[in-house]
Amino acid sequence: MSKTTIKNEQNFVKNKPYYESVGDEVAVFTAAYENQLPILLKGPTGCGKTRFIEYMAWHLKLPMVTVACHDDLTASDLIGRYLIKGGETVWIDGPLTSAVRHGYICYLDEIVEARKDTSVVIHPLCDGRRLLPIEKLGELLEAPGSFCLAISYNPGYQSVLKDLKQSTRQRFVALEFDYPDAATEEAIVIKESGVDEPTAHKLVKLGHMTRNLKGNGLEEGASTRLLVNAGKLIHSNVAPVHAVDTAISQALTDEPDMFQAVHELSRSIF
Amino acid sequence: MSNQSRQNLLYRIRIQKDLEKIVGPALDRLSNLDAVISMIANLNDRQQVFIYQWAGLIAESNTELAAHFVSFAPEAFDSMIDADVQKWIDLFLKNYDNHGLGKAITSLEDISGFTIAQKNKGVRCSLQQTSVFLQHFIRGLGGRELKISGNDETYTNTEGLFLPESISLFPQPKQNFTVYKLTAAHLWAQTWYGTWRIQVLEKLTAEYNDQKSLNIFNRLESIRLNYRIARDFPGLSREFSEFENRDPKVVALWKLWQDRANDLRSPTATAIDTIGNIRHFEDIDMPALQSYQGEIFLDRIRETMLSRIEQEQIAFQKSLDKLRDDNAPKDETDDDFVAKQMLEVSDGDSDDGEPSETNFQLTLDGQPIELSDDLKNLAGSIMQDFGEIPDQYMDPMEQGEYSDALLSQNGESEGDTDPDLNETGTFQYDEWDCTRQRFREDFCTLRELVVPPGDEGFISETLEKYRGALRVIKKCFEAVLGESRPQRRQPDGDDIDLDAIVNAHVDMALGKDMSDHLYTKYRNQERNVAVMFMVDMSGSTLGWVNNAERESLVLLCEALQLLGDRYAIYGFSGRTNKRCEVYSIKDFKENYSLEVRQRISGIRPKAYTRMGVAIRHLGQILQKTHARTKLLITLSDGRPEDYGGYKGQYGIEDTRHALLEMKQSGVHAFCITIDSEAQEYLPHMYGTANYAVIDEVEKLPLKVADIYRRLTT
Ligand SMILES: Nc1ncnc2c1ncn2[C@@H]1O[C@H](COP(=O)(O)OP(=O)(O)OP(=O)(O)O)[C@@H](O)[C@H]1O
Ligand SMILES: [Mg+2]
Repeated sequence: MSKTTIKNEQNFVKNKPYYESVGDEVAVFTAAYENQLPILLKGPTGCGKTRFIEYMAWHLKLPMVTVACHDDLTASDLIGRYLIKGGETVWIDGPLTSAVRHGYICYLDEIVEARKDTSVVIHPLCDGRRLLPIEKLGELLEAPGSFCLAISYNPGYQSVLKDLKQSTRQRFVALEFDYPDAATEEAIVIKESGVDEPTAHKLVKLGHMTRNLKGNGLEEGASTRLLVNAGKLIHSNVAPVHAVDTAISQALTDEPDMFQAVHELSRSIF
Repeated sequence: MSNQSRQNLLYRIRIQKDLEKIVGPALDRLSNLDAVISMIANLNDRQQVFIYQWAGLIAESNTELAAHFVSFAPEAFDSMIDADVQKWIDLFLKNYDNHGLGKAITSLEDISGFTIAQKNKGVRCSLQQTSVFLQHFIRGLGGRELKISGNDETYTNTEGLFLPESISLFPQPKQNFTVYKLTAAHLWAQTWYGTWRIQVLEKLTAEYNDQKSLNIFNRLESIRLNYRIARDFPGLSREFSEFENRDPKVVALWKLWQDRANDLRSPTATAIDTIGNIRHFEDIDMPALQSYQGEIFLDRIRETMLSRIEQEQIAFQKSLDKLRDDNAPKDETDDDFVAKQMLEVSDGDSDDGEPSETNFQLTLDGQPIELSDDLKNLAGSIMQDFGEIPDQYMDPMEQGEYSDALLSQNGESEGDTDPDLNETGTFQYDEWDCTRQRFREDFCTLRELVVPPGDEGFISETLEKYRGALRVIKKCFEAVLGESRPQRRQPDGDDIDLDAIVNAHVDMALGKDMSDHLYTKYRNQERNVAVMFMVDMSGSTLGWVNNAERESLVLLCEALQLLGDRYAIYGFSGRTNKRCEVYSIKDFKENYSLEVRQRISGIRPKAYTRMGVAIRHLGQILQKTHARTKLLITLSDGRPEDYGGYKGQYGIEDTRHALLEMKQSGVHAFCITIDSEAQEYLPHMYGTANYAVIDEVEKLPLKVADIYRRLTT
């Protein structure tokens, strides 16, 4: 009666994703994977966590199941549930169960957003046991060697109440991500958006300026993602200052004074 | 005498008589009375009536002023529109009310000044409108925090930018706004491109401390800075040229100076090179300053820099000492060993004169160390002053130096009491002694004091600074009230719980019992919360922590007003068990009144952190209030610490014990701290889930309200 909601082919990362390595994260991830250790990716938004895991999936030649966690996501959403079909009850595997069955990578994005009970279901998966109990089926799934659990978590945002519990986080090998250094970030912006080097240089400089404002009117500075987005607009012939306004400043703030400050900062370098 | 002129004469006599009646003998003392009367005679009826009316009103305050008014009124009607005449009257009357007759007459007589100001009104740009923007802008440019404030003189002292209250140099408000931006950026450039390195300051003080040399230095340095700005900020540079003085003579002079000081137009030129040029410019004319250039006040810079350098050296050495301590092998307790560790700094290549905080790297015994943001900022600031981290900064500090420095900054000395604090009571408390595993009875003497009111401006500044954030916070708090949280799987309720029904079906199909908890309820749980905020007022909060604490309280109070939760705020500190102190800022009965606001502003760092006794005392106050949920929230910056052995395990255990006592009596305790090491002891004291570490002080104000909301929903 078990059925999977996920088809194998769709989850293969076919083309090599562009990923600019910033340290030894590829080696560490690989080592953790070989030792069947779960991995926690920590870092601010838009710094390349998702891109990295895609790259690793390609690198390890494994299909990947991604779950974007939200505050209504329950354990059954991960594990699976009975549905009623034509008077019959049918069991449907959740994404986590399906990844465990087939030995895929399961990537739980922004795990802290999910309900508390979700972290409990991953506990037995993350220690030496590597088990996923499916209570409703009375089944105890054992993860095959190729299965890999990765979760992401942005320490900047979450609240005390939603903070990852020690008992959860201490099961993971943690890889810390931050915005790459200026030279690497420039390379990323060039490669991802197609702008020339001087423009990328300026975009990265602007990124640093907005990061100076973090905690002082801005919750976060501009992420690599925003810099890439602005670069794409510029590459499509949008005037740089306008591109920055729309792709970066508007995304960062609704405050008129702050918007103007970012606007003037970009005008000062372009 | 013709009939016509006879008529005229009579008319003028009548006017004079009328005015005398209104103003009295002061009128006759006017030297130009005849001329004035003739001019009034030429005004239209409405204008004349206006003068009579106002002369009468002014005479009620002061007849001298009324007579002056009469003598200047015709000129006023002559040089401005009627509506402005009214504003002119308002202005000199306001001056009369606030500053007396002399000032009133001066402003009354300055009709041309008034008309110019009036014309500028539409084009003027004020600092008040622009300061929030400017603060963000300058912060974005980077470097040490520079506070923007208004002043008659435009300059920087390396910690603040002083700008005019308003600018009306150009016909468009937008242009004047740009002048603000350019002026601030140009002053910022001084602090960023090394105009005020300590070597420069010293050389100027020793050899060129006269106004003329400083004026020359200012202009030459400006040539160097403009070159650097043009390389790094082409957009700014374009605007600088747009706003340059177009007078051909000035243009020619600047050109001459630039050509003569061409060596300064290089990425490697420093302010020392600028000084080297001063002598060559003593005999040629000086170009006028551009609209965006400020002045230089060497003594003010000197004062600020020297005191900062001293403080930062202490703070830096202390941080390094801590790093050494923390990285010392745990089993080595020998103090000498600590000093033997090799801390080294490499501050990158800063030949280009730009402070390169990002290149700053610290190594301990060859291993690079991850630095906290605070320490990075501190190092950045030191490099702005020196261009490097001076060697002596790397030396371990003499024991006890830090606390002495703190004491002198507090203006406190051991043994004396603060006369400015009103004592409201004395209490005795037990203290838990973990080594003996029992209480020391009545060991602590605690006094309850009231925080003296502080400057109220702080509150409005904070509200202004966090205007946007506060709106967001308030929205969230309102959402708490409006929120109806669905309660699932209820035996009855407002809606059917589909998940529960499906599950029940499954159970039924499997032949199990079917649950009847099939409903969802949307009910607002009524809030019944009392919360006690306990604020760390120990000496280590001196500076931005203290500021952040006060700002946090302001935002919190604003937000709490919405929820209607009962709350009290107390500070705590003390020195030894005999002098434990809590400081009342707001008790449960008080409203968020002016006094409370002033007290928040008046919170100042005191001495040490004996936490246990403060928790016991404030916990008791909390217990006496009636509420279903009682919360004790501590804002702190470090571990418990006081004279006489109250440190390390002893302090932590007493605090933990006090918290356990609270828990038993139904009080939930939570701690918000900025101590990055809190992980080491807070879980033990407060329990794993009952604390939050804020990694950046600046975040505290925003976080505290947020945490509170989440804790209570
Ligand atoms: N190291 C990198 N190599 C290549 N591209 C990168 C790198 N870092 C960031 N990027 C770019 O930034 C974009 C955003 O990265 P990504 O989506 O991985 O962020 P994230 O960390 O997952 O953010 P979030 O927490 O918001 O999900 C990518 O699409 C890519 O263009
Ligand atoms: Mg992502």
